[in-house]
Amino acid sequence: MTIRRLLRYLQPHRKRLVLALVVLLLATGGDVAGPVLVKVFIDDYLTPGIFDPEPITLLAGTYLLLLFLSVGLLYYQEFLFHRIALRVIQQLRIDVFSKVQHLGLSFFDRTPGGGLISRITNDTEAVKELFVRVLSTFVQNIAMVVGILAAMFLLDAKWAFFCLMLIPLILGVMQMYRRFSYPVYRRVRHQLGRLNAHLSESIQGMNVIQVLRQQNRMRREFEHINGEHYEAHMKNTKLNGWLLRPAVDLISLVALMIVLSFFGVDGGESAVRIGVLYAFLNLLDRMFEPFNQMMQQLSFLQQSLVSAGRVFELLDEEETAPAQSGKENPRIREGRIVFDRVTFSYDGQTDVLKDISFTVEPGQTVALVGHTGSGKSSIVNLLMRFYPLQKGDITIDGYSLSAYSDEELRRRMGLVLQDPFLFTGNVKENIRLGRESISDDDIAEAARFVQAEPFIKKLPRGYDEPVGERGTTFSSGQRQLLSFARTIAFKPKILVLDEATAHVDTETEDKIQEALSRMRKGRTTIAIAHRLSTVRDADRILVLHRGEIVEQGTHQELLAREGLYQKMYRLQQGLTEEVESFGGVVQ
Amino acid sequence: MRVFRDLWWFFKRERQSYGWGVFLLFLVALLELFPPYVVRVVVDESIQGTLTSGRLWMWMGWLLAAGLAMYGLRFIWRVLIFGASHRLARLLRRQLYQHYTRLSPSFYYRRRTGDLMAHATNDIQAVQVTAGDGVLTFVDSLVLGGLVVFSMAVFISWKLTLIALLPMPLMAMAVGQYGKLLHKRFLAAQAAFSDINNKVQENISGVRVVKAFGREEAEKRSFRKQSDDVVHKNIAVAKVESLFEPTISLIAGLSFFLAVAFGSGYVVNQELTIGQLTQFTIYLGQLIWPMLAFGFLFNIMQRGRASYDRIRSLLRVQPDIVDREGALKTIPDGDIRYEIQTFTYPESDQPVLREIRATVGKGETLGIVGRTGSGKTTLFKLLLREFEPVDGTVRIGGKPVTEYRLSALRQTVGYVPQDHFLFSATIAENIAFGRPQASREKVEEAAKLACVHEDILQLEQGYDTVVGERGVTLSGGQKQRISIARALLLDPEILLLDDSLSAVDARTEERILEALRNHRRNRTTLICAHRLSGIEHADQILVLEDGGIAERGTHTQLLKQEGWYAWMYRRQQLESLIEQGGGGNDDSQVAPLSSTTP
Repeated sequence: MTIRRLLRYLQPHRKRLVLALVVLLLATGGDVAGPVLVKVFIDDYLTPGIFDPEPITLLAGTYLLLLFLSVGLLYYQEFLFHRIALRVIQQLRIDVFSKVQHLGLSFFDRTPGGGLISRITNDTEAVKELFVRVLSTFVQNIAMVVGILAAMFLLDAKWAFFCLMLIPLILGVMQMYRRFSYPVYRRVRHQLGRLNAHLSESIQGMNVIQVLRQQNRMRREFEHINGEHYEAHMKNTKLNGWLLRPAVDLISLVALMIVLSFFGVDGGESAVRIGVLYAFLNLLDRMFEPFNQMMQQLSFLQQSLVSAGRVFELLDEEETAPAQSGKENPRIREGRIVFDRVTFSYDGQTDVLKDISFTVEPGQTVALVGHTGSGKSSIVNLLMRFYPLQKGDITIDGYSLSAYSDEELRRRMGLVLQDPFLFTGNVKENIRLGRESISDDDIAEAARFVQAEPFIKKLPRGYDEPVGERGTTFSSGQRQLLSFARTIAFKPKILVLDEATAHVDTETEDKIQEALSRMRKGRTTIAIAHRLSTVRDADRILVLHRGEIVEQGTHQELLAREGLYQKMYRLQQGLTEEVESFGGVVQ
Repeated sequence: MRVFRDLWWFFKRERQSYGWGVFLLFLVALLELFPPYVVRVVVDESIQGTLTSGRLWMWMGWLLAAGLAMYGLRFIWRVLIFGASHRLARLLRRQLYQHYTRLSPSFYYRRRTGDLMAHATNDIQAVQVTAGDGVLTFVDSLVLGGLVVFSMAVFISWKLTLIALLPMPLMAMAVGQYGKLLHKRFLAAQAAFSDINNKVQENISGVRVVKAFGREEAEKRSFRKQSDDVVHKNIAVAKVESLFEPTISLIAGLSFFLAVAFGSGYVVNQELTIGQLTQFTIYLGQLIWPMLAFGFLFNIMQRGRASYDRIRSLLRVQPDIVDREGALKTIPDGDIRYEIQTFTYPESDQPVLREIRATVGKGETLGIVGRTGSGKTTLFKLLLREFEPVDGTVRIGGKPVTEYRLSALRQTVGYVPQDHFLFSATIAENIAFGRPQASREKVEEAAKLACVHEDILQLEQGYDTVVGERGVTLSGGQKQRISIARALLLDPEILLLDDSLSAVDARTEERILEALRNHRRNRTTLICAHRLSGIEHADQILVLEDGGIAERGTHTQLLKQEGWYAWMYRRQQLESLIEQGGGGNDDSQVAPLSSTTP
């Protein structure tokens, strides 16, 4: 099943594959023809003692020509097979990567990232080995064996027939090796995995090991695994010793005995058959090397098939991201958001949102407050269409969320995440994020708007300043500002904010606050609020608790209730005074 | 050759395996000369008509015996030589691991895990190949090659041998060259692969950004581009790799051509029999492998030498922190006293601490606060003796920490680091990491103190749930609390909590601190925190700024000082109010505010 599916990847390359096969056959033919030519020379000229320069020169010329030709073709076909295999794997990789791009967030929630990465890279790499080896080693070597056998039959059918009898013997040894080596090989891999895991974990947790004085215990544990790994390796070496090269060498000697016996028994006429003997011995020499090579690949082969199975499993994953339904293609013009009796659950058991209804008028800011697990993030996740709706409806400008195309949603709704994730590349690319329609001017404008330009200008290479892995060279405040610029670059109608909880230094904090309030202006905003300024400026505040809205109203309305808000307001004023008297720290 | 000299100590140590192994290899090489000889005898006697069936079967019998003998001997030398090379790998791995456990934390700040792993895997592998395949190819190409050439020259014709061997050195040279080229291109291909690996890693960790900005197509495009790069680099490898076989075919073909062409001449001149010529060509076939091996040998040795040098230089790294001569075995106890003029990390010129003078009485709790980078963690590192200050001392019970044995110091200090690290083991094993023989009751007691007991019971397999890299993923707060439980189980005299409650919510934090206060009476606790609520109850609080002490006192005193501490405290109070948004308490929907307002 897996093999058939893998072979389907060869479809687009069939022309090149046929070419490679033809070249392979020609090369093999040329290769095998060499000994046959020598046989003709020995039997027809050398033994009878006929030395006609013309045909001998012709023979020699043909031999050399065929040699050079077959060597060239041999190289070409080997290269062709490699290239096909590499292209096939590239396609497989692109397919699996593309597939992952369209999986829903719920899939990522339940799949550990490490395993996923390993499927896209390591498992496909293992399949690459399979393709390179199956294609090159097996196809070539089978062609070689067939070619040699054909040449043998041409030379002497009886001898060839008896040599052919040895093939089942070799296949038997191969089968036996396959059977025995698989568990042994798996054990070696398993022990190696354990060894590496223990080692990498020890290196990472060395301070814990040392502080807790467990060095001796960890050494003992490592030594135990080290020993088991050694045992597994020894077993593998012994198995290879019994069944690989030494066994094939023995069989090849038996083949020599068969040919020699026939030669000797034929006795009288043998004088004229020295050339055939020469050719046979030469061909036999070459016939067994392919088997050696194929047998060495057997254990890899099975390992690769397991990997291929895992890759296909991922390709068959059905948990795709929610997509557009219907063909209306509405546009977001106003940015009026309505949540209508929305109930939602991640696991189908506990509802994280219960019957949530609210409306955000165009240009309004709604702040969501509540502790962890109250449902704030789930509202954002649903609004961004990261998860499919289960009950109730969300509409924007009167159209159901599902009616919009992905492009329209991503264009008109700007999300600012708590963790400002930066990609490897440069500053400009991190603002553009692959959206080709954003010009360099748009990028500069966006950066100016969120006041990120001053610090970008100070970078040695400005907008082209490289961003390393995860943007660790930038401070968290700078990363925030860059992520604002990236959101604002598309001039979204709706802003979805997940404010950061982390404390950055106060100077940057002020800049961030200012940028946020500028961004909110004229845009419908839904914010998970951690900052006082956002809450104070909000047109409405929704207080969430365990998936329900327990309190809502404007800042003023909530203040009038003499509850939480009055208290906060008083504290707020107290803080402002302190801030003024403690100016040095703030500014 | 140098790598063999460097590894000589091991060959000497395994002289049984290598001695017998090489001897058997030699025997096999001798036996391999036999079949071509039989071919010659059979051919010549058959032409002369002297070959009887009795003689034929006798020769066949000898051949079979030689074949079986070779089979057995080949098996034995493999086990001997390859087995020894596996033992070398095992030994080096053990040495390296033990060395790793001895090195100081400063070493681990300097070196990346990936590199240290590479030394213990790839480099050891390369040395193992040198001690196994390297020795084999060395002996094989010299012994087998030498014997074959010797037989050809002495028993058949030295002239023909010279002529036929003319192209052979070319092969050894070409193979050596290809190997070098291949290695270089292979490294480039590996680098491209690791780039694409990073790309995928980034894509998966940034999946929310990818989705929120509709970056899927752009990601696919850039992935396609990178995978193209991988293909190109691999095709460059394939170009060289595909050269090996055709080159062998070419050189071997030329050799055979020369042998037959000139050999025929000698047959005609009756310097050779046809049987001898056939024997000669078989020998020629047997020479291909030793020649190839000779080419490979240089690459194997080169790589092995580079790898072995890296391993040795790693093993030579001395731990920065070692026990002084006559260090005290007694377990440190008593007041902790910091007297530090300045402290600067090695390889840096910015001092991270200056003018730190503070005493923590036995049984007291010290709180340390300040911005990121103000030097809080460094104070802990000095107490743990991960680094040694040049200008100043840290004392416990009046004696500098440097005068105690490291093991004694570690016995008294429990440390919960900032970056909580759990091992791939069960939760119970993780909590009992410092005392593996601890009973389940002790483990649960520690977990209860760290307020993680209920969380653990919620898991399907409870305390037997496997966590860590290859197990169940826990939340940051749960991991932090398990690390705390791990330290509490040892009940240390001095406990250091390095921002260990940052991912725990405020109410749980309060419960843990309460439990600590009750449980750790008369024992010293040092807490550093971002959230001030975590150190409110400390006997003494230090506010660090730029490595110096900016404010000090109790919570009440500091609030009165109206400095950074007071300002930060109010601000955090406010923020936690907003964050909890009135839903912070389970009993009522609006949070009661009075209790937390100063």
